[in-house]
Amino acid sequence: MALLEIKDVTSGYGDVQILWGSTLSLEKGKLTSLVGGNGVGKTTLLRTIMGLLPPWSGTITFDGRDVSRLPAYTKAEMGLVLVPEGRQLFTDMTVLENLEMGATSQRARPHFARNLERVYEMFPRLKERSAQKAGTLSGGEQQMLAVARGIMADPIVLIIDELSLGLAPVLVLQLFDSLKLLREEGITLLLVEQNVQLALAISDYGFVLAEGKVELEGPARKLIQDKHIRAAYLGL
Amino acid sequence: MQQFSLLLTSLPDGILLGFVYGLAAMGLTLIWGVMNVINLSHGPIIALGMFGTFFLFMRAGVNPYVGLIPIAVVGVLLGVLIYVIAVHRVINAPHLSSLLATFSVNMIIIGLGTAALTTSPYNVDFSAGSFKIGPVTLLGTRLIAALVTMLFTGGLYLFLYRTRPGKFIRAVANNRAAAELMGVPSTRILALSFGLGTMLAMVSGALIATFFPFSILAGGSYELKSFVIGVLGGLGNPIGALFGGLILGVIEGIIPAFLETSWVPVIEFALFVLILLVRPSGLFGAKK
Repeated sequence: MALLEIKDVTSGYGDVQILWGSTLSLEKGKLTSLVGGNGVGKTTLLRTIMGLLPPWSGTITFDGRDVSRLPAYTKAEMGLVLVPEGRQLFTDMTVLENLEMGATSQRARPHFARNLERVYEMFPRLKERSAQKAGTLSGGEQQMLAVARGIMADPIVLIIDELSLGLAPVLVLQLFDSLKLLREEGITLLLVEQNVQLALAISDYGFVLAEGKVELEGPARKLIQDKHIRAAYLGL
Repeated sequence: MQQFSLLLTSLPDGILLGFVYGLAAMGLTLIWGVMNVINLSHGPIIALGMFGTFFLFMRAGVNPYVGLIPIAVVGVLLGVLIYVIAVHRVINAPHLSSLLATFSVNMIIIGLGTAALTTSPYNVDFSAGSFKIGPVTLLGTRLIAALVTMLFTGGLYLFLYRTRPGKFIRAVANNRAAAELMGVPSTRILALSFGLGTMLAMVSGALIATFFPFSILAGGSYELKSFVIGVLGGLGNPIGALFGGLILGVIEGIIPAFLETSWVPVIEFALFVLILLVRPSGLFGAKK
């Protein structure tokens, strides 16, 4: 059974409908990616999953439990964690305080020391800058901190929105490597990306979102060879 | 020479008063900093603190400084109540809505207060003696009030920077959606912040009641001073409010030695406008 299941979800802002019945599911322990161009509703879907935006219809099931209408702050407690687009760090707080905030939930608190060691090992730069205000970090360091803060929440499912946006290719590769590491540790990952090729290259499974609906899905290896995708997203 | 001796009494008085102004402003600026709400019920809440001292001391015989404890507790509860009833539903609406909401609370408190207490002045007949340091005489009530303010400022700082709920408040102030995603129940944190801001205002009122006579309308002038101080110290920067309060206190201590006292608000608000023009983020910076 799927760990996270999104069924026929519709949602939007005010009168503007963005999601037109999106259905997708995440298998436990797998790295799944959700790809699609700009403005197809990827971030809206994530906001709806997390409870920052109420679904108009449809259901979201996490670990067998209907979580469609639960407020955002309860999701972290269940192990459903989002690394939001644009990092959304606590810029006026130090790097260490950001990591502390990541470990807010009761489930994450007992593992604080272990997880801190884990993220410092993964991103030694953050350890060097632990007393610095998050707002003074470089773009790449901020993205590292955003991911690290997500790991501090001790997630069962970690959703990462636009990891690669605005980062130098070498940094993107480094961050993607750390994702593989997280998958090996048993964390279920959902990678939401505009960078279709890169995302599919490391994923097990992929969904293609277009105009608020899942247009195509399949094993990532198959998708990357799909004619339509190669033409529409990869420019091949 | 006469001016100099006048300055020797008015300046220390002004500085000690400045501490308490700072405490009042801290409440206003904390609420603004966390939830971008200008609390227009700030003044009457200060007045409620004044009446808190009056009833506890004059009617129940509680020492005014011991009385600060129940007043602070009531302040937190009252603030949470105001948040839940009046502020929460407009927290995401444009600023005008929250201005009107807190203004309504302001009118309700003043209305009920006028009905129950009239608008005639009350006085707390309390003295904590005076201390003579060379040619300078300090009133005991003002000295203790300054010490209490320092205690509250230090306490607020430790709370915001060293405790978990305090860090939650800073996180929600900084980025509410992100805090929510991390598992911080942001609505509760906003209610707590409003409670703390209200508590600071009430405590400052409770201290001011030991200096001057007051009525239910007396909070208004301190509310205005809080705005000036908030801008001086950087709106949204509670610790800066203490420095802003001290600056205002110094100004109020110096002016009477050279000009009529009625010039005080003129100069204060001229300064207010000047700071807004030249350095809108305040002398000590503020949140962006």
